[in-house]
Amino acid sequence: MTADYDAIVIGGGLLGATAALFLARGGMRVALFERGPLCREASGTNAGTLTMQMTRVALIPFALEGHAMWQSARDWLGHDVGMVTCDGLSLAFTEQEADLLSDRAAKRRAAGAPITLLSPAEAQKVEPGVSPDILLAGHCPVDGFTEAYSTGKAFRVALLQAGVAVREHTPVDRVEHEDAGYSVVSDGKAMARARRLVLAGGVWIEPMLAWLGVRLPIKTLINQLAITERVAPIMRSVVGIASGLLSLKQYPNGTVLIGGGWQGIGNRAEGGYALSPEALIGNVRLACHAIPALRGARLVRAWAGLEAETDDALPAVGPVPGHADAYVCGSVHSGYTSGLAIARHLAAGILGEGAGPELFPIDRLLRQSAPNPTRET
Amino acid sequence: MNAPIASTTAASSADVAIIGAGPAGGTAAVTLRSRGLSVTLVDEAPLPGGQVWRALPQTLKSGAADRSPDRIDGDKLRGALANSDVDWRGDRRVWSVMRDPQGFRIDALGPSGTETIRARSLIVASGTHERTVPFPGWTLPGVMGLAAATILLKSQHVLPGQRVVVAGAGPLLAAVAAGILKAGGEVAAVIDQNGALDWLGASGAMLSRPALAIRGAGWVRRIVGARTPVYRRHCVVAAQGETDLASITIAPVGANGAPRPEGRKDLTADSLVIGNGLVPGTEITRLLRAEHRFDRDLGGWCPVLDGGGRTTIEGLYVAGDGGGVLGVDAARAGGRHVGETVADDARAVANRSERRPTSRRRPRFGAAMAHLARLRPAHVASIPAETVICRCEDVTRAEIDRAIDEGADEVNQIKHFTRCGMGPCQGRFCGDIVAELLALRQAGADDETTIDRARARIGSWTARVPIRPVPLDSLIGDFDYADIPVPPPAPL
Amino acid sequence: MSESLRFSGGTSHEVTVHIDGEPMRCRLGETVASALIANRVRLLRHSPRDRRPRGAFCMMGVCQECVAWVDGAWRQTCQTSVVDGMAVELDRTP
Repeated sequence: MTADYDAIVIGGGLLGATAALFLARGGMRVALFERGPLCREASGTNAGTLTMQMTRVALIPFALEGHAMWQSARDWLGHDVGMVTCDGLSLAFTEQEADLLSDRAAKRRAAGAPITLLSPAEAQKVEPGVSPDILLAGHCPVDGFTEAYSTGKAFRVALLQAGVAVREHTPVDRVEHEDAGYSVVSDGKAMARARRLVLAGGVWIEPMLAWLGVRLPIKTLINQLAITERVAPIMRSVVGIASGLLSLKQYPNGTVLIGGGWQGIGNRAEGGYALSPEALIGNVRLACHAIPALRGARLVRAWAGLEAETDDALPAVGPVPGHADAYVCGSVHSGYTSGLAIARHLAAGILGEGAGPELFPIDRLLRQSAPNPTRET
Repeated sequence: MNAPIASTTAASSADVAIIGAGPAGGTAAVTLRSRGLSVTLVDEAPLPGGQVWRALPQTLKSGAADRSPDRIDGDKLRGALANSDVDWRGDRRVWSVMRDPQGFRIDALGPSGTETIRARSLIVASGTHERTVPFPGWTLPGVMGLAAATILLKSQHVLPGQRVVVAGAGPLLAAVAAGILKAGGEVAAVIDQNGALDWLGASGAMLSRPALAIRGAGWVRRIVGARTPVYRRHCVVAAQGETDLASITIAPVGANGAPRPEGRKDLTADSLVIGNGLVPGTEITRLLRAEHRFDRDLGGWCPVLDGGGRTTIEGLYVAGDGGGVLGVDAARAGGRHVGETVADDARAVANRSERRPTSRRRPRFGAAMAHLARLRPAHVASIPAETVICRCEDVTRAEIDRAIDEGADEVNQIKHFTRCGMGPCQGRFCGDIVAELLALRQAGADDETTIDRARARIGSWTARVPIRPVPLDSLIGDFDYADIPVPPPAPL
Repeated sequence: MSESLRFSGGTSHEVTVHIDGEPMRCRLGETVASALIANRVRLLRHSPRDRRPRGAFCMMGVCQECVAWVDGAWRQTCQTSVVDGMAVELDRTP
């Protein structure tokens, strides 16, 4: 038995859930399909960092808007997801890093991020726990973090209240493009139909687009993260380094989360099935170099989350060429910060509001189309 | 872990690595060495023996030699290992295990820093940890596990308290109570979840191991001789005290293992040692993504094994209670058997011949004992709402129930909703109970068959590194900033 | 209640460990957790979330309840052998 909706969203991560939520609030009947529980891949396993200093320049406006959305999440989402607003520091320990930091800070500042450069003494006033070995620090007052693992719990309640048909644990086999729209097949059965389709499957947008015969290569990054047990307060800001390979913060409960995108071992099909001990040790060394008091903590858990990356490392957000009313929403670097805004703008565009759905059109990324399996069989 | 800082990682390789030097792992090591394979044996303790055959430190030995069977067997194993050229690595905390092109890679923290061990085959012999069905007050100082009491008595010559209540299920009950009495301590009472009939049901199996049955009879004789009150078909329902245990409340249990409301009784004690069976330590086999199955009688989730201890992962084997709780005799026999299988498989690989299929019967005695100590769904169902389930994060049953109400429908989602299992014990003490609570809700029944089906569907925590918490200080050692292999900057 | 809970062994290998600055006699070969239990010190810490009293529970390195600040580092006291002059701080926040 199939059910008819105005829009079907496939992929229950942050982007898909946000798009589904705002489509539903815009008056549409929406179904959201997710193969597991909501927000349990990248959206629930990322570092929760809401920083401008790791964000791509082109995404800064969305990141600022996303940061504001997280700050007001209690109002529009009904749950604050543990949001903490604090200072952000990006550190340079060498001359080379200082040059990189100055250059990147200037470009991000030009894009609207309020980043300034601080001397070591000034940085120490912002973050007393910081290493005395720094040469320079980028400072941004718009920073912070959430408890990423609470994202799914928050969105689940909001989506249900908005009337979205949430279909967790429902892997989609394929989508068929019919005359009247799109039909979603799960476990061999047609489950839902809708005129509009949003593909928001993170690293899986590549196989999802292949359902429609569209070939958009996505590289899968295996980002390692590590967390300590609860320790006494040792830091009060989000700390990174010039190259972007560190994100470090202490939660109000005392745990310290160490990230930065050091690569583990895995792939899209099997996930991050092993962590690289060298990468973990390297990442932790960097963290302890930045905040020396961290050395006294114990590591309790490390894991890997998958991140999607396009050929040009910029998002794939917009209409799917050749398929009316089908959209893709994915590969947003540091998407936990800017993704909320990007997905909301896409939803607005689909609803015919705002500047339209062509946010980061994907034509630039497409390879020669693969044969359309659904049309040929 | 007395790990000083080291700047380099020592690397080594062997034909076979064995994690865990108890009866299973230690015996497997000796067996494999006798077959000519190189073996690295890793354990957290300073000396081989595991929990059951744990060594008594030289400095704690008194005049009279300890002639207990466990000590004799442990000394025999330690002697055999010392006389072999097994590469013994005690005092090592294994924090990462992964597959690599040569087979397996193990990373451990030891006295001189981080070490990497590579091996073509890996035997996991990591034993078990104890399960306690939570009750209000179980987190009070003065309450500890039966296995903890065993360690205190056997390897430290310390009594757990002045006036001890010994409670729970299975053969450790009598062993611990008798051990306390033998050491001159006072046992206020023994609280046995099973009744005489349950033990009678196991007696057939006991006859299959007369030596063990006689040893058990000796324990019982000592308890009876001391006129220790024994409450059969009872369990502990609460412990009271401000900052320390002062008294406990016990209740009779029904046929399903759950406490009944009537007939409750308070006992004064400064120490409660309690255990409700053992849970196989499957962290490493789950981390390596071997297949597992749920078997309540064997302690819960167990790796899927063939008769030779082979897992579903090529080159990965399990020996001893980590493959399902069957006790020390089965662990020793299994260690020898799995050792032979690994040696046979290595020869088969060398000769490019078929691996020999192996089969083995489940030992009756160990199975009967494990059955007595199995988790009873109705007992878990009776846990009061305000009871702490996750000790590390103080998550109560009420919070877990609320998470289920809010839509959490598998254990990892409960973890994300409540932080249950996110603390430093890494979910080892709450995992089994959380899954049982969820199964009870999803199944809407408390009979074991129905619950077992739900448990199999629900699964268990995703295993993560580090396998045990590790101090960052020891993990990173000394380093220069310039030597940190920082990847190139992300695109702008 | 000054008598210890030790039940055998001589005192030839006695060492002194400082618990929150107070000297405590131990036997070489004991773990810090066992020595504390033997000397009837059972409240080792408070749980980080609800600040409930906690003591050693599993004695085999699994439960993490016996973690204390030992000679300047967090250690599982059930896995740490006593050393003469060792300084143990219990219930250090958090």
